Amino acid sequence: MHYAKQLPCLRITLLLLTLVFAPTAIAADKLKVYTVNYPLAYFTERIAGEQAEVVFPAPPDVDPAFWMPDTDTIIAYQRADLIVINGANYAKWISKVSLPRLRMVDTSRPFADRFLQQQATSHSHGTGGDHSHSGTAFTTWLDPGQAVQQAEVIAAALTRKRTAAKQLFETNLEELKSNLLALDERLARVTTSAADSPILASHPVYQYLARRYGLNLRSVMWEPDEVPDESQWAEFVKILEEHPAKWMLWEAEPASESVERLRSLGVESIVFDPCGNRPESGDFLSVMLKNAASLEDVSR
Amino acid sequence: MIDSLYIAWRYVSYNWVRSLTLVACITLIAVLPLSLELLLDESERQLLSRAESTPLVVGAKGSSLDLVMSSLYFGKTLPELISMADAERVIKTGLAQPLPLYVRFKARGAPVVGATLDYFDFRGLHIAQGRNLALLGECVLGARVAENFGLNPGDALLSSPESLFDLAGVYPLKMQVVGILEPAHSADDLAVFVDLKTAWIIQGLVHGHEELVNVTDPTLVMDRSNGNVTATAKLTHYTQITPENIDSFHFHGDPADYPITAVIALPYDDKSSAILRGRFVAGEQPRQIEVPGEVIEGLLANIFRIKSVLDAVILVVGLATVLALVLVFALSLRLRQREIQTIFKLGCSRLTIARFLGAEIVIILAASALLTLLLLGVVERYDEPLVRTLFIR
Repeated sequence: MHYAKQLPCLRITLLLLTLVFAPTAIAADKLKVYTVNYPLAYFTERIAGEQAEVVFPAPPDVDPAFWMPDTDTIIAYQRADLIVINGANYAKWISKVSLPRLRMVDTSRPFADRFLQQQATSHSHGTGGDHSHSGTAFTTWLDPGQAVQQAEVIAAALTRKRTAAKQLFETNLEELKSNLLALDERLARVTTSAADSPILASHPVYQYLARRYGLNLRSVMWEPDEVPDESQWAEFVKILEEHPAKWMLWEAEPASESVERLRSLGVESIVFDPCGNRPESGDFLSVMLKNAASLEDVSR
Repeated sequence: MIDSLYIAWRYVSYNWVRSLTLVACITLIAVLPLSLELLLDESERQLLSRAESTPLVVGAKGSSLDLVMSSLYFGKTLPELISMADAERVIKTGLAQPLPLYVRFKARGAPVVGATLDYFDFRGLHIAQGRNLALLGECVLGARVAENFGLNPGDALLSSPESLFDLAGVYPLKMQVVGILEPAHSADDLAVFVDLKTAWIIQGLVHGHEELVNVTDPTLVMDRSNGNVTATAKLTHYTQITPENIDSFHFHGDPADYPITAVIALPYDDKSSAILRGRFVAGEQPRQIEVPGEVIEGLLANIFRIKSVLDAVILVVGLATVLALVLVFALSLRLRQREIQTIFKLGCSRLTIARFLGAEIVIILAASALLTLLLLGVVERYDEPLVRTLFIR
């Protein structure tokens, strides 16, 4: 009789304990995956679902390609179950730190023989110091076909780490692939009319996009938030004589003064965000769809 | 019997110099081969346990012993170099994971082991003080190296030049000690660990210097053409890596061509191990692959051949000592002839006299056995450090 009275209390206590500790147990069971840029973080989140805690620790106001993490962040990377890197010499800080190679996943390895090279160009962004765009072109994910391959590498790595969730990873990968291939189809459609037309880019980051869709693209070294000086405009006019572009791709919304002056030269500005860092709103796919919509707007 | 033992004890303690000499002789004869056996067993265990926990080692064709000793015990002999491409080849087989090692340089006499962080996981090495390697130019010390050099996290350690006569060689690198490992009771305790890239910096393959494009001193520039700037030898390379200059450190050439001394291959399973070994044996791979356990067993077989010679020598010496002891007892009986006659005249039978003499021998042998056991106990208690000090340096 005495025990019978105590039983409901015991059950409630057990229930409370379960509610308190269950999320901790699930969190501890999750794979910890660190990535070097946002597209890879997005792909991993989509594929792993609840099976992984995906961390992309770069601050929102930096270009992850040229960011250098502090020692604590490097140690956090070292403790991850998987470190998803882009390859193609992206995130140069990787070559200056110690990371466990066996836990690193180079997502661009399947197409490493098709990397594009570019000539040495160096410049600075405000007070951020000089950085160089020499060597291998690294914005690999702008070719959705390559993005699919990168996602496949991530799925394989996750499966190796957690075989039990293989089915989930495969299902999620297929869903992501269908999204990326739909994006590819849409971009292919919109760029068909512009295949031979000269196009300009404010920054040398669209190499793989240009190769995928056969764009006749040439890059300058402008920053969206900085209005080019007169010497840059003079150089631009010269480029325009050789490469009579009607469109110019920007990584972010350019200064209105730059847009107006470009328009006066017969060049329309299009924002095509490579989305290397986490966007303020939306996600990778929504940003890419917005990019495609921008292209559609000007091509009409 | 007690009376006989008492009288024998009185005799033994009265002639204590003679008794002690006899005890020492017998003890030495017993302790030497037995303690050698113990130490050899322990050295075999230590050598084999490290070798057996290392599945496969890939290296340049040549002496398999040099390759294994360099990769496992960081021995002084430098095997022929291979490259990072060989580590890539191992991973491309899909049969094993590679742990590249570059054991070439020294710092104050201790081997500098260039490895990736995976090596620490593989060997189960843990940081006792400080933290693990994070940036270029940092090092983590084995427990005994830290103790011998009196270094702590935050101190600096200079790499040693490969040759004193290499005046035009690379500058020594001032490495920052960031961590001390817990004692592992293995060769890892005697090593200085750096990232592979730091080892290449010591060699001068990866280096940092003033940005050539911005150089104003004309004596630093040999040629400027087609966007390339060629520096003169006057251009100073940084000898310490700091947060201010770390960005200037860069690779020259293809990292796949960068040198290493060996690759520890970790096969996924026994089948993968067999297939991987088969590919090397069949000549599909231009390198040799060794099973460290087999190489060390071969080495130990040689050591045991030497040990059997040593055992024979000890046996002969032991026999000679036993004969000498018999002689000592026989001579002592002759010297004690008058004493024995006196005992006989006092009324003791010959059997009683024999019991007295037998009891003396028993006491001497018992004391020797006790001392032998004590010494063997000490050897067994300290066999691990003794082996590391005497055999595995």
